[in-house]
Amino acid sequence: MNTHEYQAKEILKRYAIPIPDFGIASNKHEVEKIIKDLHLTQAVIKIQVHAGGRGKAGGVKFAKTPEEILKVAGSLIGMKMVNNQTGPQGVVAHKVLISRPLEIKKEYYLGAILDRAHARPILIASPEGGMDIEEVAEKFPEKILTLPIALDGKMHTYQLYRLANFMGWKGETAKIGMKVAAGVAKAFIETDASLLEINPLIEDPEGKIWALDAKLSVDDNALFRQPEIAGFYDPTQQSPNEVAAKEYDLAYIALDGNIGCMVNGAGLAMATMDIIHHFGGAPANFLDVGGGASKEKVAEGFKIILADPKVKAVLVNIFGGIMSCATLAEGIIAAAKELGVKVPLIVRLEGTHVEEGKKLIQESGLKIISVDGLTEAAQKAVGALK
Amino acid sequence: MAILVNKKTRVITQGISGKSGKFHTEHCMLYGSHFVGGVTPGKGGQEILGLPVFDTVYEAKQATHCNATMIFVPAPFAAEAILEAEDAGVELIVCITEGIPIRDMLEVSRVMRGSHRSRLIGPNCPGIITPDECKIGIMPGYIHKRGDIGIVSRSGTLTYEAVWQTTLLGLGQSTCVGIGGDPLNGTNFIDVLKLFEKDPETKGILLIGEIGGDAEELAAQWIHQNCTKPVAAFIAGVTAPPGRRMGHAGAIVSGGKGTAEGKITALRDAKVVVASTPAEMGRAMQEAMHKQ
Repeated sequence: MNTHEYQAKEILKRYAIPIPDFGIASNKHEVEKIIKDLHLTQAVIKIQVHAGGRGKAGGVKFAKTPEEILKVAGSLIGMKMVNNQTGPQGVVAHKVLISRPLEIKKEYYLGAILDRAHARPILIASPEGGMDIEEVAEKFPEKILTLPIALDGKMHTYQLYRLANFMGWKGETAKIGMKVAAGVAKAFIETDASLLEINPLIEDPEGKIWALDAKLSVDDNALFRQPEIAGFYDPTQQSPNEVAAKEYDLAYIALDGNIGCMVNGAGLAMATMDIIHHFGGAPANFLDVGGGASKEKVAEGFKIILADPKVKAVLVNIFGGIMSCATLAEGIIAAAKELGVKVPLIVRLEGTHVEEGKKLIQESGLKIISVDGLTEAAQKAVGALK
Repeated sequence: MAILVNKKTRVITQGISGKSGKFHTEHCMLYGSHFVGGVTPGKGGQEILGLPVFDTVYEAKQATHCNATMIFVPAPFAAEAILEAEDAGVELIVCITEGIPIRDMLEVSRVMRGSHRSRLIGPNCPGIITPDECKIGIMPGYIHKRGDIGIVSRSGTLTYEAVWQTTLLGLGQSTCVGIGGDPLNGTNFIDVLKLFEKDPETKGILLIGEIGGDAEELAAQWIHQNCTKPVAAFIAGVTAPPGRRMGHAGAIVSGGKGTAEGKITALRDAKVVVASTPAEMGRAMQEAMHKQ
């Protein structure tokens, strides 16, 4: 699960990571209060959305007077940001973060992530801050240091010295920097994070280290033991369809095409998208109703797919394992009747009680195109658009 | 022959009193698997499906001499269930449970890598089956047919698709292993490839991968250097958008890594026949067999 920058910063503060004073506002009164409380004469104003690339999209601005802060914040609250990370529908910023500006002497990168290959969490540090870390890794691999984090979140002192020297920190700067690194490692483990990034981490002219930005993504599977972070869930940052899918525990991702897909199992769902593409079509979504799909989940899946106006045909691909195809067919028929499906509906069933399932569909009186193989399913779905 | 499980495998179920645990234990038994007991803490002494239930895996092993366990314990407690089975010295641990926190799996991975007596399959997997002998998992048994092909996969229903295609083509399967869709799992592609390479009954190997991580690339390298048997493959997720997690926690393309294209190229370079669509997995296997 993604969190907002201000939420990540609130958490990082508890790990003794220096963060410039900030406030969070969703209306003019709150902006005024922040200006007054923090005695701001200048400020950096940043939209709070679950997507990167805010600066380039015009969502981060500098204001030089209190009046300007009010004006800029007012224009950014409610801004819709659209880029390759948000998809064509974009995301709306309902809040802005208003931060005391700092003078920057140098920018760094500090983050923590899971190293899958070695099954361990690692701290990543680079003296090249402000850039996309993947770009740094590609262009200047020698400018990236990775250090393993112990499972209890502790860093060894020698690791922290190595990191400080790698970053080129001396004296007081090194002291603060080492504390920040230790804090990031500990926060990463204790919040069940899948990604924790400070980019940029900066050094001010006095040699102090500050976290100017923060990104925290948390393992969805661990939210049961992270009640505070679970409470950060922000449905406004997802499409209504994704929100509905989450409610019914369906894995749904909106895509650009026009063939709605409903499949059981993530691997088969991806493979179904691929075969549609292979025959010249474009999937409107990824939707996994689960390996043990039930009648109810199938019905909910249908509603979500049909709520997307782009959808011009629907392809259902179910390999009934434990769940009988007959039961799933009943779910499909019930949902199709209830919702009055107006677009061509192609159904491919395979597996347990497949003949019964097909018979139910044939006898339903609905205009459902029943097909046998995956190839035929994809061809019929693509053909139905012509 | 086949690999890992056969008629002699003595299986217990951890989490046997739960709805799924009981349901699937029953179906595995109907298939012919030899189940000898179950474990649910606090329910020791009871009987479920005619099997004795124990409080701990240690007690179950003492009493039943089980050498395999099927785990259906809920996600918040599943990592501990795996560690318990390893501690008790159960040789084969098959964890079906999905949704285990990554932090919990870090400890499990560390323990399993250092374990000389236990092997973990999964988590978040359909399980393992040697047709007509032993099914430990949630796959529909009847789609399988005993035969020549060893199947190893990160996916569930996509594996059923591959199984069904090889069954319809008359190739059949020696053993099918679902290694699971999580970023951290026990047994990996190479572990299973090594076993299939050594198994005289396995004449060809079908590998089903998906986007995310570099397990397929490493498998391709191993195949290139070590594998004498024909190999076919399919990689799901050619059309997956970067940065989005496609259902499985492990299926995500990030930072230009883990793309389907990269995996397909690596496999083709290793002389693996890669199916162009998921409908062609069985035929790709046939083609690989003919080539050799």
